[in-house]
Amino acid sequence: MPLLQVKNLKTYYQTARGYVKAVDGVNFQIEEGEVFGLAGESGCGKTTVALSIIRLLPPGGRIIDGKIIFNDKNILTMSEEDIRKIRWKKIAIVFQGAMNALNPVIKVGDQIVEAITTHENVSKEDAWKRTEKLFEMVGIDPSRAKDYPHEFSGGMKQRVMIAMALACNPQLLIADEPATALDVIVQAQILKLMRELQRKMNLSMMLITHDLSIIAETCNKVAIMYAGKIVEYADTKRIFRDPQHPYTRGLINAFPSIRGPKRKLISIPGTPPDLLNPPSGCRFHPRCPYTNDKCKKIEPELKDIGERHYVACHMSW
Amino acid sequence: MSEFRGYIVRRTIYAMITLFLTITINFFIFRVMPGDPVSIMVSERILKPAVVEEVRAMFGLNLPLWQQYILYIRNLLIGYLGYSFHWKEPVINVIMERMPNTILLMGVSTIFSVIIGIVLGILAAWKRGTKIDVTILTSSLTFYSLPVFWIGMMLLMLFGYYLGMFPIAGTMSRPPPEGFFERILDILHHMTLPAITLTLISYGEYTLLMRGTLLDVLTQDYIVTARAKGLPERRVLVRHAMRNALLPTVTAVAISLGFIVSGATLTETVFSWNGVGRLIYDAMMMRDYPVLQGAFLIISISVILANYVADIVYGILDPRIRYGGQGA
Repeated sequence: MPLLQVKNLKTYYQTARGYVKAVDGVNFQIEEGEVFGLAGESGCGKTTVALSIIRLLPPGGRIIDGKIIFNDKNILTMSEEDIRKIRWKKIAIVFQGAMNALNPVIKVGDQIVEAITTHENVSKEDAWKRTEKLFEMVGIDPSRAKDYPHEFSGGMKQRVMIAMALACNPQLLIADEPATALDVIVQAQILKLMRELQRKMNLSMMLITHDLSIIAETCNKVAIMYAGKIVEYADTKRIFRDPQHPYTRGLINAFPSIRGPKRKLISIPGTPPDLLNPPSGCRFHPRCPYTNDKCKKIEPELKDIGERHYVACHMSW
Repeated sequence: MSEFRGYIVRRTIYAMITLFLTITINFFIFRVMPGDPVSIMVSERILKPAVVEEVRAMFGLNLPLWQQYILYIRNLLIGYLGYSFHWKEPVINVIMERMPNTILLMGVSTIFSVIIGIVLGILAAWKRGTKIDVTILTSSLTFYSLPVFWIGMMLLMLFGYYLGMFPIAGTMSRPPPEGFFERILDILHHMTLPAITLTLISYGEYTLLMRGTLLDVLTQDYIVTARAKGLPERRVLVRHAMRNALLPTVTAVAISLGFIVSGATLTETVFSWNGVGRLIYDAMMMRDYPVLQGAFLIISISVILANYVADIVYGILDPRIRYGGQGA
């Protein structure tokens, strides 16, 4: 039984001009101890998937259809009180750009203590001791728990966020672009820390990023998202060795390889589609070099092409 | 905490400098005004020049400007604000006689408008986009933009004249009723309409400010974090949103607390309320410079003090401020 199953998830945003179909029929699952990568361009619906899982969509966001089964229970039919108890205790999340994710007027230690005492019946002193241990674990001097967020650098704040995310030993950690706002060196440190902690604690993780190199280094499985849909889904190794979907190929070609021969990087022409009125048929067809009439009319299903490698494309490869 | 002590010391020094500059400006502003104060007190056509000169010397007006300035500072240090031309008694007495009335009226209406304003602002932000929000917003803006004397006169006409529920003028009945509690009730009875007037025109400011900042804060990332942490909605609102949203409101409240001693000239005039606001108006008409100077000085000190307190409170609420302003 997988830890998390997302089935046919549809999350739309209501706007004055109609529904933005940010997530439109997404399926995937995460096994225990597995690191699952969700990759795609900005605005393809990755973050909306994450926010749907903890049911914290911004105003106007609504889950239209689907199931999110976590530990055998459907999160989407739970009462507000039940989902509140799952948040952070079972599913913790590290947000994109930790710059503003911490409350500026509360000491960072107190923010972590608050997370612990909300879910567990422990005294403030014990929670504070645990907080100091967490600080050590993420490589920050425990005495700094008494400091305020503005006294930390960006990378340090992200470490604090990671410490906070692990405070209640969650079963699933969602990391939404955990290193995106940081410079390359700090980015590498943060990702290294996350990989180490994941291995040490056997964490199940969902890593959301636009950066395929991070996926390659960190994830067991990966789903490629395009315009609110998953277009390809397989083992990380398979996807990088044998990408099937033209969009996946485009993404991989858009990244340089250090060891491979020097070659011109090819970017995908065009821009991501307007999700208010997504293209008919295959949503990638206006940008796809192999488009034919069928692609414009019929939406491709996500099909298993063997060894649990799923692709949504009419072309047979 | 040591950086907090440094912050307080810095703020104290700034407040002192401001105070000194204000006192100095307050001195010179009345020296550059046209006309000789003595000529208003006594008619030079009737009195002999020697007598006029005598009067000038009595007030120290014959001395060079810098000596007058030193004299003025010395007098301030011993708490002497001068002598009123019109009321013929020390300025401090003239002002202090009216101060309780003003502090009572302004204090009560400021407290009410702050409480009503903040509560309505929070409610509007919380119920954003609903009928409640629209109603609060429209009424706040309407009262906020109406002229204060018009509201005052309308209330007077309706509740004072036609319905006869409240007295139409004054601070208390003449003669005042017997007994302590009867007197208090009598003053409150007189104060109701002016206090309502002042509350109505000023609560909107806090409503709009509170609603705006709270809406802004509620979209911040750390609010999403707080919710993702599984905190109950109440705790998210009170501990995480309100504390950040209160910061601008603290400044606004502090500044209006500083103006409590200045009274409200228009409202006090409409309701014949015997307070500092009306005193300023009367002193202006009488060219009673010492009283004006004294009133300005007390208002300035009060505003500086209120801002000083606001700075300290702000430092407690927002740790970022203590470092000499990296800002939000």
